[in-house]
Amino acid sequence: MHFKKLFQVLVLGGAVVGAGAGCSQANAQDKTKKPPVDAGTQTQAGGGVKGW
Amino acid sequence: MTAARRTAAEAWAFRARVEQEAALRFDRLAAVVAGFDPGSPVPAMMRRAAEDERRHTELCARLAGSLGCPVALEPMPEYPPIAPPSLDARQAALYEVVAACCITETESMATLTTLLGGEPDPEVREVLHSISRDEVLHSRMGWAHLSRESSSAEVAFLAPLVPAMLAGTIDEGLFGLPPPEEDPEGLLRLGVLPLAQKREVFLGTLEQVVFPGLERFGVDPEAARQWLAHAAGLS
Repeated sequence: MHFKKLFQVLVLGGAVVGAGAGCSQANAQDKTKKPPVDAGTQTQAGGGVKGW
Repeated sequence: MTAARRTAAEAWAFRARVEQEAALRFDRLAAVVAGFDPGSPVPAMMRRAAEDERRHTELCARLAGSLGCPVALEPMPEYPPIAPPSLDARQAALYEVVAACCITETESMATLTTLLGGEPDPEVREVLHSISRDEVLHSRMGWAHLSRESSSAEVAFLAPLVPAMLAGTIDEGLFGLPPPEEDPEGLLRLGVLPLAQKREVFLGTLEQVVFPGLERFGVDPEAARQWLAHAAGLS
């Protein structure tokens, strides 16, 4: 199967693209931000995106 | 009409709607990401992706029509936000990018390459090939954004939220039995994976591409692995 190649092309390739410009700027509190207390619960968990 | 042709026509019609929604999503996310990361290459990629998706919508709709399922697309359909309301705007954008690009577009890319590795009908192959060229970029821009965010902000908050992304992306019945009339050869010729192969591609892509990718950028995939094992009946 082609999963190893997909990892290289998509994940590693994406990281290269992302690093190709200046670094992202952090919000002042971002690095110390804690996960929301209700993250992962059924009602607040969010959803996904349908694909092929 | 054969069962395979009917199933394929419905699948291509569904894909047309998926692509249309993706175009709207990428247009919106491009503006959001540019707002907090103006130096990022991702917004430009998203704007291009939105154009790609509009073209894909037409390709998929045309193929669905030629297979016997004409598609009536609404000009501007609405779609609900998918990020948990407890997240701030930047976190919500990251949630949506990971769900739409790192998971869904990566899965789509795996599906496309699997289909192109078979022997689809010439008209189908042409559409698959055209779309696959663009989908590489659509997946990559998600990993690019996650990579950038992981270097400047806390991304670990996503870990317990990935199961909801996965639950929202799979079809009902993915882990069930195929319909008795399923014609695997006929489906593959028309650009649709039979259920067993679809499941194999979905699981392999998560385990060998998505989960290692998340882990690489600081999102612990353990909760997602547990969710998957339960959903697939492995635990």
